[in-house]
Amino acid sequence: MLFFYKETKARRLEADLSRPSDGPEAWKDLPEDQLFEPAGFSARQAESTGYSNYSYWGSTFRAFFKNRFAVVLLAALCAVVLFAFLQPLLPGQLDPNLCSVDPATGIQYRNLAPGENGFLWGTNSIGQDLWARIWAGTRTSLTIAFFVAMIEAAVGITAGVLWGYVRRLDFFFTELYNICDNIPSTILLILISYIARPSVPTLILGMSLTGWIGMARFIRNQVIMLRDRDYNLASRCIGTPTWRIIQRNLLPYLVSVVMLRMALTIPAAIGSEVFITYIGLGLSVELPSLGNLINDGRKVMMQAGLRYQLLYPTLILSFVTIAFYLIGNAFSDAADPKNHLE
Amino acid sequence: MLRYLAKRAARSVLTLFIIVTVVFCLLRLMPVEGYFSNFEKMTQSQIQAGLQSMGLLDPLPVQILRFWKNALQGDLGVSHIYRINTPVVEILAQKLPISIQMGVAAMLLSLAAGLPMGLLMGRFKGRWPDKVGTALIVLIQAVPAAVYYLYIQMYGTTLLGVGLLFDETNWRYWVLPVCSMSLANTAFYAMWLRRYMVDESNKDYVRLARAKGESESRIALGHLFRNAMVPLVQYIPSAFLNTVVGSIYIESLYSIPGMGGLLVTCVQRHDNTMVQGIVLLYACVGILGLILGDLLMVLIDPRITLSRKEEVR
Amino acid sequence: MKDTMTRRQFLKAAGLTAAGACAAGLLSGCGGGTSSSGNAAAGDQSSYTILYSSQPSTLNYLTTASDVEMQVGANCVDTLLEYDPKGVLREGLATRWEFDADTLTWTFHLRDENWVDCNGEVVAPVTAQDFVDALRYVLTPAYAASNAGLVTGYIAGAREYYDYQVSRTNAENGYTAEDGTTYTLDSAGNVTISAPGAEPQVLAPVEFDQVGVKAVDEHTLTYTLTYSFPGFLSLLVYLPYEPAYGPLLEEMGDQFATSAETTYSCGAFYLAEYEPLERWVMKKNPENYDAEKVFIETVSRIYNAEAEVNGPEMIKRGEIDEATIGSDILDSWLADPATKDIVSMDRPNTNYTYFYMFNCMPYRHEFSGWTVEGLDAEYEPDNWAKAVNNTNFRKAFLYGINNAVTLAVSAPEGYEGYKLSTITPPSFCATTDGVDYTQCGGLANLSEFFDEAAAKQYRDAAIQELTAAGAHFPIKVQLPYNPSTTDWDKKCQVLKQQLEGVLNDGADFIEILITEGPSDSFLSSVRRAGKFGFLMCNWGADYSDPETETDPFYQTEGGYGSRYAYLRTGVEDGILTGETAQAVMDYMTKVEQAKAITEDIDARYAAFADAEALLIQNALAIPMGMSIPPYLATRLNYWEGQYASTGFSNKRLKGIHVLDHYVSMTEYEANRDAR
Repeated sequence: MLFFYKETKARRLEADLSRPSDGPEAWKDLPEDQLFEPAGFSARQAESTGYSNYSYWGSTFRAFFKNRFAVVLLAALCAVVLFAFLQPLLPGQLDPNLCSVDPATGIQYRNLAPGENGFLWGTNSIGQDLWARIWAGTRTSLTIAFFVAMIEAAVGITAGVLWGYVRRLDFFFTELYNICDNIPSTILLILISYIARPSVPTLILGMSLTGWIGMARFIRNQVIMLRDRDYNLASRCIGTPTWRIIQRNLLPYLVSVVMLRMALTIPAAIGSEVFITYIGLGLSVELPSLGNLINDGRKVMMQAGLRYQLLYPTLILSFVTIAFYLIGNAFSDAADPKNHLE
Repeated sequence: MLRYLAKRAARSVLTLFIIVTVVFCLLRLMPVEGYFSNFEKMTQSQIQAGLQSMGLLDPLPVQILRFWKNALQGDLGVSHIYRINTPVVEILAQKLPISIQMGVAAMLLSLAAGLPMGLLMGRFKGRWPDKVGTALIVLIQAVPAAVYYLYIQMYGTTLLGVGLLFDETNWRYWVLPVCSMSLANTAFYAMWLRRYMVDESNKDYVRLARAKGESESRIALGHLFRNAMVPLVQYIPSAFLNTVVGSIYIESLYSIPGMGGLLVTCVQRHDNTMVQGIVLLYACVGILGLILGDLLMVLIDPRITLSRKEEVR
Repeated sequence: MKDTMTRRQFLKAAGLTAAGACAAGLLSGCGGGTSSSGNAAAGDQSSYTILYSSQPSTLNYLTTASDVEMQVGANCVDTLLEYDPKGVLREGLATRWEFDADTLTWTFHLRDENWVDCNGEVVAPVTAQDFVDALRYVLTPAYAASNAGLVTGYIAGAREYYDYQVSRTNAENGYTAEDGTTYTLDSAGNVTISAPGAEPQVLAPVEFDQVGVKAVDEHTLTYTLTYSFPGFLSLLVYLPYEPAYGPLLEEMGDQFATSAETTYSCGAFYLAEYEPLERWVMKKNPENYDAEKVFIETVSRIYNAEAEVNGPEMIKRGEIDEATIGSDILDSWLADPATKDIVSMDRPNTNYTYFYMFNCMPYRHEFSGWTVEGLDAEYEPDNWAKAVNNTNFRKAFLYGINNAVTLAVSAPEGYEGYKLSTITPPSFCATTDGVDYTQCGGLANLSEFFDEAAAKQYRDAAIQELTAAGAHFPIKVQLPYNPSTTDWDKKCQVLKQQLEGVLNDGADFIEILITEGPSDSFLSSVRRAGKFGFLMCNWGADYSDPETETDPFYQTEGGYGSRYAYLRTGVEDGILTGETAQAVMDYMTKVEQAKAITEDIDARYAAFADAEALLIQNALAIPMGMSIPPYLATRLNYWEGQYASTGFSNKRLKGIHVLDHYVSMTEYEANRDAR
């Protein structure tokens, strides 16, 4: 589902970028007398030289920090992520796999409600501390998602640039794109998880296997469109090295969408993990993840008294999803150079 | 037009061929137990003999060729585990109708609910319909489907006074699965349309309409909505594919005998012939959807012609 | 007299029901007899509907050995004999039977009975030939019947016939074994087996009429055994000895019983509808001789992948007749006044026990037809080989494991009742004087092993000896589980924590590494392949004789036994040496001696018991507990049904009523006592 949103957003931005806002296409419908206007003469301007203190990243961050809501959300998200990774270092934390035992009977604390006996979020049916498990699960899921996003970006950008620059590869990539676009992504996920044993690397592989192609296609379209723009031609004519063209002229255009895609990949990957666990191809119980915690919680959810086992992992998942989505949106708006002029 | 279609179809066939061949090769990587119903108890020699009789020891190209030859004749082989020795085609023919019925119903419902919702949200941007709608969309998007489907089932069945399990003959039993299935797309359409309306509302043609003194509602319906239909059609292929794929969550919750869990089940039970058949079906439908989407686009938007589109692609 | 019990009482009582199976009346004080129906849902008393989430892959009762796939074999096909609710054999399809002086040839006289198809229409009479045809089917290697071993071991001529058929099939398929053995068939039907570097072996044709099963006439059937096997009659109440309609077998071949249309029934029910992953319906068979004792008209199983979640909820709404109440929601069901009186249990299944086993085959070993892979390098097979050969190391486990903790995962408070200190469960069989097998011979001396102090002593001794032998610590112990088995993962986690808590207290002795095995073909890829260090295993008796309990451990020389413990191979490969090897070989000898005793049942039992005790005392196998009957919400009174400590009798629904309410624990106990 989330992939779907991601696509839409990407297509919209893409459409924005390729819209001829300026240039012969846009001018051709203008009436003759508007095409040329005498500017008059200004002595001061005739003497002045161009100067701009424009800094791409500076403007981006300025624009982003203007969005209060996004900043607050970003702070909260950072806090959650940071806490997830710092939690095991805090004093008094239990091992996520430790089955806490009632010293009086020697039997595990089964299904303790949140708050009972000092278990902040309660325990599951074999006395494991859900607090510890959920944070450990958040760590696992975030790690998986982060790697998926990185791989998608790295492979996607590289392939996209190749696709755009090397014309001979065009047929190959286009065909590949058609194929990947047509096999439901769940099928590939299932097949990969099935061929290889369920583990963190397998999940990362399965999820990033098709994701990169969308990114690559977008990059390719941009590259094709931008590389022959006049200002790039001009840059090339005066001998600017290619990497500098890419860095100064191309990248700023792409950053916004790349960022958005990456931000959306993270919650989408967590969602896929939930799905894979649901169909029984997920990670082992020794390695808690939001997927297997939610799945375990689902099993007891018909019992009103046990719903807390589903509530907390779902809350974290939902928060992470919403936060990434909104922050991603805000940042991509901020990173769009067109919005820097305001 | 016809020439374009023929070219397009030829290309699709090629894509189809590649997809299925890739999956076919991937499946060869899977454990051979997927070809036997009682693999656990078989001796090595029985396994070898069985593989040989199924032609699985032949070189890969030979196998692929044979598969395509049979597939073109409508023979996708027989299931080895799922329903022993039942032709794959027969199983699919039995499972498809219910998934399609349910999927189409859900698709229509999500359009019928999502578009007005998006229109309202866009029309009253920043006011309460927009806020309520956004909250709803965020909720649907953020909570895993596996979780909210369960809640819908649990409370919905009590509300409607129906049983937990699906009963095809009683319309009341259709309500919950179809509603659940349409939720995600409803949210999607609503969000999309709202965004579109907000983005377009400062375009020149809208300003002109406003300047002419047209009412806001008329602008929304007569101008914005009509234009919004064009890109909307782009999503028909994937929506169409989803109706066939079905929903594994929903079908397993309500015991609906559809396509939803079929692929997962067959993959889990290592029924390789079934997996091949299902993937072939999905790929066909996906590509059909793609062509359909293109054609609809031409019908709906006079600015697009097929020949030009061909160049773009 | 109380109508309801407190939760704690309930749990205690529930735990004790296992013990109740052998000592009925233990709880007679609280089995008040008032049947309190907690749920008012008025059920349809002629039909029985449940959800299922585990789809059988076949219904072929002649070839399967798995639990879910036995339903048709148990309910739709009658056996020669059957059990009554107390576990006593009584007549079934055979009305009387006799045996010759040396109990080798058994003659059965069949009653009139008909085969019906999936519409309940009569197809043909059941004749003695149907038993012969079914056995021939079981002995056809191409059908890969998993219970063929239960025939070849006991029926005269069956092994020879089967072995010949296997080689012949190999020859016909042009099969070459991995070690290069080839098979050739000549026109006279002789099969030549040529292994590289060995004299070619010629197998003369063996016809099926040389197998000891004969249809004397339509209603008379004889079996000839290889030796006077005491458990033979109980073996007859099991899958491979069921009849099947000959012409149908002939026609369908390996497609027999894959659908309702390809299955004929002659039992209490007939298979009316079978749509995999949809529904599965059995209807009362009016043609059955015992039809008046069948009280359920329709048995429907509806597939629901979410049965674990939906089942209990549907019970609350009264929509289905039975659901398993998993251990994770049990507590909250019992705490809720609305549901606490609708939870009872399944009838204890005393034929299944659990025990732990060490891997004696950490290295690769090729048998003909099977290869043991051994431990992966990351689990340090060299180190493990040294450890497993050390008796003190194993005994540290034997005394260090507190079974109560692991059992409590599935039986929250009644776990004490399931603990075992033997492999064979109690009340499995008894001597002529009524002494339970577990109280015979060496087994009589065994009691609970768990003893932290003793465990630490053994551990310290093991550390000393193993250090001398060059092993390093901690010793890595791979502990796999099957993710599709309920609670197994949890039990492993609990075991790891408990055992490491004892043995690593004051020493860095072991490191238990829990690994997830595949959910499909777990046994083949883990246990049979030697890919574990320590493993929770189970075994269910196939017939009523202690010999069945030696199957996991006993091996003939050079053979792979039932691909289970590989103890003897461990000795043959030099992994087990010294004291341990001595114990293993003693065990093998003792089992062989015990098997040879066929006249004196008491002596036979004592001999088997001695062998089993030897195994446990040397910690070659560590007893764990009995299978815990699942907690159920059900409208059935299972105590009315057939019962046996072996085979599938407990699955038969004949004689059971569907009640108008869910059975409460009090009622369950009353029913048990009234039985």
